[in-house]
Order: sequence, then structure tokens, then C-alpha cells
Amino acid sequence: MRLKMDFMGLSLKNPVMVAAGPWSRNPETIMRSLDAGASAVVTETIAMEVRQNVRPWIYSKNEGYQNVRLYSDHALEQWLIFIRQIKKEGGTVIASIMAHSPSEMAYIAKSVYKAGADAIELGLSIPHGEGVAVMGSDPDHMYNSVKRVIQSVDIPVMVKFSPHVTNISELAKVVEKAGASGISAIDTVRSIIGVDLETSKPLLATYGGYSGVPIKPIGLATVASIAQSVKIPVCGIGGISNWSDGLEYMMLGASTIQIGSAIMTLGSEVISDVIEGMDKWLEQKRLRAEGIVGKALSNLKSFDEIEILPYKAVLKDACPESSCETCVVGCLVGALEKKNGNIVYHQELCNGCGLCVSLCKDQNFELKWRL
Amino acid sequence: MNIRDVAQRAGVSVATVSRVLNHPDQVTPKTRERILEIMKAMDYTPNWFARGLNLNRTGVIALLIPNIMNPIYTEIAKGVEEVAHNKGYYTLLCNSEDSKEKEAAYIEMLLHRKVDGLIFIAGHLDPDLMTRIEETRLPAVMIGKIEGNWQFSAVYTDYFEGARKATAHLIENGYSGIAHITGNLRFIESAEKLNGYREALKNADIQINPKWIIGGEETIEGGYLAAKRLVRNPNPPEAIFIANDWMAFGAIDAIKTEGFRIPEDIAVVGFDNNRMSGLVEPKLTTVNLPVYKMGLTASRLLFDEMDTLSSTSESDEKADQKQQIFLPLTIKVRNSCGHQDRIKAIFGE
Ligand SMILES: Cc1cc2nc3c(=O)[nH]c(=O)nc-3n(C[C@H](O)[C@H](O)[C@H](O)COP(=O)(O)O)c2cc1C
Ligand code: SF4
Ligand code: SF4
Repeated sequence: MRLKMDFMGLSLKNPVMVAAGPWSRNPETIMRSLDAGASAVVTETIAMEVRQNVRPWIYSKNEGYQNVRLYSDHALEQWLIFIRQIKKEGGTVIASIMAHSPSEMAYIAKSVYKAGADAIELGLSIPHGEGVAVMGSDPDHMYNSVKRVIQSVDIPVMVKFSPHVTNISELAKVVEKAGASGISAIDTVRSIIGVDLETSKPLLATYGGYSGVPIKPIGLATVASIAQSVKIPVCGIGGISNWSDGLEYMMLGASTIQIGSAIMTLGSEVISDVIEGMDKWLEQKRLRAEGIVGKALSNLKSFDEIEILPYKAVLKDACPESSCETCVVGCLVGALEKKNGNIVYHQELCNGCGLCVSLCKDQNFELKWRL
Repeated sequence: MNIRDVAQRAGVSVATVSRVLNHPDQVTPKTRERILEIMKAMDYTPNWFARGLNLNRTGVIALLIPNIMNPIYTEIAKGVEEVAHNKGYYTLLCNSEDSKEKEAAYIEMLLHRKVDGLIFIAGHLDPDLMTRIEETRLPAVMIGKIEGNWQFSAVYTDYFEGARKATAHLIENGYSGIAHITGNLRFIESAEKLNGYREALKNADIQINPKWIIGGEETIEGGYLAAKRLVRNPNPPEAIFIANDWMAFGAIDAIKTEGFRIPEDIAVVGFDNNRMSGLVEPKLTTVNLPVYKMGLTASRLLFDEMDTLSSTSESDEKADQKQQIFLPLTIKVRNSCGHQDRIKAIFGE
């Protein structure tokens, strides 16, 4: 009950969905996510033409993933059968589709709509294999595609955004004006995950999309900007691997969230863990999921609104870690020194940057007014 | 015998029979039993894939192409056949060689033998025959777009824009002396390519040199001969935009035999991106014509139309029976154009 969410007219039992990707590549994987508790699953992206995926297509490093996978390797007809099958089993399925022209997009949309998809996500934001400028970053193209699709179907249409957009607010408004029911963000971030120095080769053979834990801050900012620009609901995606990640997205304006890469790291249990964690937290706070959507947005300020206050760091306790020097190294003005295993603080040098506060694992600093 | 006969025998509407087959849950068990009984008695076996379930079907669609030697058409055929096969249909391939007689003979044969549907290439079929097809109301889809009041579903692209982009790409790479080897200008796509070439030069304020526009037969040999003429000209061009890759292969051979290097002396850009284009030396920069996808799409449109035609419910589907799908063209940058733009080669435009 607490978790119930109305999203684009779909009444969902919770806000946790699964993102487009190979973890949603067929009915079996999709049902697995639904069985784990996801309220809806987005299919891997369906296109008119199946293009062979190159191998290898993914590389994992430092909790992040670069992938160079294109779209689903199942034909449209196969997906129509899949969708019917998932619907028969009672699942809620959102068809992710892509195409190169509005008429082509509308055609695929109509096909998945007739097969029974509950909603559509337009996947025009892949950062590799489709041009230097991400397809979905062109407002005119977006407007025409969304418009054509909406005229062809009778289910909610959500548009997936790339972080590679110059003016995200303008694009969100264009998409809303075209009649979209919602916006999801973000797709992967263009990346090269590393270079093998011995062979002078990038770790994957071409540019790809970055996902997983490291992209969460990019996703959060994108979601907040969209939520502050339009009235249609937003679905937050990017680096969600636990319940608090999900709630952060929601507080910044997402009504729902999608989990992607974490399924590769943690298995589909991550879905039930996120749902349970959210539920517990909401219960403790006596809140409902609907009640927290956008709660942190009003605390996002412009520079003008941030008062310039005479903050200084304050050491709460004696330093608990004799071998640690993190804050000492971090402090750019030399306000912190380590002497005999303890921190010596020079208040007159401190400029209140706040770095030590977030650096110290033991949370030994706070900022306070010091006039 | 078809679904109508079953309906008549059972004394129910055709829609009810259709529902028994497609949404049995929406029919009372009693009616369902009875209709299934009648179907069995009448030996009525619906095709699984067909929603309309018309027993008068032949299970064959036809693809009429102008030239079986041109790999464009084999790739279109691959797309058409793939969808048809998945639907349990056979594809009949008819090669007209752009001959009016052959076309007419094929069309008559197809209409008489009653294939269930036809895909043809716009601009390569006599307008009278198109009218004839339209009159018989045979489900038909055209690939390409032509002037006229035709009511066919179509998948089409923009040759003008593709040629303009290809020529503009050469201009961006610093060339201004750009020649064009045209295809057979009797065909609309060749004429559009020529116009696109002209437009790009005009946009860049480059004078058009009529000596640098020459036509060729749409074969390797045609490209070879046309390129020889251009290259032996006392004032040879710095770059050539060629109406199709097949001709470009011939042109590359001619340019090399005349002792010029590609792209250092003469750059070449083709059109189509056929399967060989990435294999010739130097690898050919070209316009990617999504032929396989055109085949897939045309085939899908055809089956939609066949399904709608035999679908019995008076639904809204009738209204949007004719569908037009546009597939845009992009440049595939490789080595023959002398580009300095590696990022464009990796990402496309
Ligand atoms: C291997 C892989 C394949 C993906 N395939 C698709 C896809 O087909 N369509 C799509 O819209 N997004 C696709 N994505 C992007 C994800 O849906 C998601 O937007 C992105 O990975 C960020 O979320 P995450 O950090 O939770 O993975 C893919 C991501 C990965 C890692
Ligand atoms: S991770 Fe699994 S699928 Fe990928 S290469 Fe290794 S064994 Fe194969
Ligand atoms: S970061 Fe914390 S634990 Fe480490 S030296 Fe500073 S105060 Fe001590």
C-alpha cells in the first residue's frame, strides 16, 4: 500500500521497474524480474532491423560498466509473441522501441501496442552506433517522433533521455508539448572505460555507454532538471543498486525508478531488496512513496539563494584513526595537521569548504557558524 | 471455404468465429464448443499466423524486382523473405530486367495465379500495370515513391537528400572539382541523385561543369567506362560521386588503371552501401541505403494489409490500411573520399 504509485495512468504496486537491457531480453528474464517484485519491466530495445551484436560487448571496472551492445537481437515479430506471452502471465511490460524516422517509430509502436504492451518507452538516446549527436538530443526530431507515436497508439508513451543534451529543460518541454506521458532518464553515458597500455588498445573496441554506480550523480541531476521543467512524471534511472539510491531519485522528482546494471552485479534479488528497503524506510518515517516524490527539489537552490554564511569546520572528537591522514591531505589550505595521532585544527586558515566533512569516514567534522 | 462459410453454417457473425480463434475467452463456452465442432466438420484449419484466417489463401507472396544482379535487390529480397518465412509464407521472386514485356507477363501471371500479395519497386513498373494491380485490389506494397495518385502502402527514402549529403561530404573534405556519374536517368532515383548532387554544389557556390556529369549503364562496366572518360579528360575532376556502388567498383578500377591514386588524386563516393563496399580497396565511402530494412518493412506492411483485408471486424484498422514509412539515408564514411574525419567514420553523421 505504502509503495503504490500511479505512473502515467498505470497503477503500479511499487515504484520499482527494471530498465531496458539484456536482463530484459526475453519472457524468461522479464518474468524473473517481475517475480522478484518489479512493478513493470522495460524490454530490451526493439528495432525494425536486427543488427548483430559485436563481441565482446561489455567491460566492468570499478563498479561501472561500459557496453557496446546495440539493440535486442530478436525480430519485431518475435517480440510481439513475447509481449503477448508476458501479458498472458499477468506481467506489466513497457516496450522499448527505436527507429530512425517518425513513421518507422510509429509503425513499431503500433505493433507493440496491438500486441498488448502496457506502455512504450522511446529509446532514442543510445550514445553509440547512432551518430556523434545522440538521436534523441534533437528537439525537432524528438517532437515529430513523439507526436507520430502518440497518434498511433492508445497507451502511455514515455521518452528516455540521454545525459548528452545541451538544454535538458527545453527538450523536456518539447517532449511534453508533443504529448508524451512521461520521461525516463538517464540512458548510458558515452564512455571509453580504459586503455590497455601494453597493447595501446581501448578495453572495448569502440565508444560505448557507461552505466552502474558511478553514473548515479549524473542521473540525479538530469532527473531533477526534468522534474523542475515539466509536469509529466519522471522515471529515474542510473546507478541504482540499493533502496536509498531509489529514494534519492524519488526525492528529486522521480515517481518511479528503473534498475539496470545492478542486476548484473547483484542478481535479480537486488529488485526485492530495493523494494523491501524502501518499504521499511517509509514505514519507519510513516510516509507513502507518493508523498516523497520531489521532496528534495525545493531544497535545490540557485547560487543567489544560498546565503553566504561564516561556516568553519568543527572537530567533533579526537581523531579515532591513528593511521589515517585523509583530511590532512585533502585540506587545500593546510588548516588540518596530524600531530601525535591527533588532528590539530587551525581555524584561522579554514575557509569552510566542507571537504573534511565528507572525507572523514568517521564523520568527525561538522560545519558551524564561527564569527 | 472460408471463415464466412463457417459463420454462416453456425449462424453467427464472422466476428464471433474470429473471436473463437483469437480470443476464445471472450466467447461463451457453449458457443465456442459449437463453432469448433462445425469447423471440424467442415475441415476448416486456420493458419496460425494469419489473423484473418482466409482459406482462399495461396500462402505465397511475390516480389517483383528489376535486376537480380544488383545486390540491392537481393538484400531487399532477404528482408522480404525473412518476414514471409516467419509468417509461414513462400516468396516468389520475379526478375523483370526492366523489360515492359516481362513485367506485364509477370503481373498477369501473378494476378491470375492469385498470389496473396505483391511487393514491387516504384519507378520500375509500368504505370498502367500499377493501375491494373490497384484495380484488382490485390494487397500490394511499393518500395520507393513516385509521382501520381497511387494508393499503395509504401516504404521509401530520399535519394535527393542522400546524394546531396554525399556531395556535401566531398565539399566538406575540401573538394570543389566534383564530377557525377549518373545512373539511368529514366529511373526516378537516378534523377533525384543528380538533383541532389546539383543542390550540394549550388549550396556551396560551386559552378556546375556539364562535362563532369556523365551517364553510365548501371553495371560495373558502365562505371568503368564512364570513369575512364572523366579521367582521360584534359581537365579531370578531383572527386567523383557515383550513382551506385556497383558502378563505383568499375570506376575505381578505371581510375587505378589510368595511374591515379584513390583518394589522393581522385576521391570517390558511391551510393547504396552494398555488401562489397567495405571490402574493395580502398574501402568505399558511400550512402547507406537500408535495403534489408526496406525489405523487412515492405513485407511487414504487406502482411498488415493482407491481415486487414481478411480481418472480419469492421474495426478502425481499415482506415489506416495504407501506410507510408520513410527510412532516412546516412553516409557511411570509409577511405575512398579522402576524409580527415575519423569520428564521422566511427559514429556516422
Ligand atoms: C548492457 C546494457 C544494455 C543496454 N541496453 C539498452 C537498451 O536496449 N535500450 C535502452 O533504452 N537502454 C539500454 N541500456 C541502458 C539502461 O537501460 C540504463 O538506462 C543505463 O544502464 C543506466 O542505468 P543503470 O546504471 O542502472 O544500468 C543498456 C545498458 C547496458 C549496461
Ligand atoms: S561474463 Fe559470462 S557471458 Fe560474459 S564472457 Fe564471461 S562467461 Fe561469458
Ligand atoms: S579523515 Fe577522519 S579519521 Fe582520518 S585523519 Fe581526518 S579526522 Fe581522522
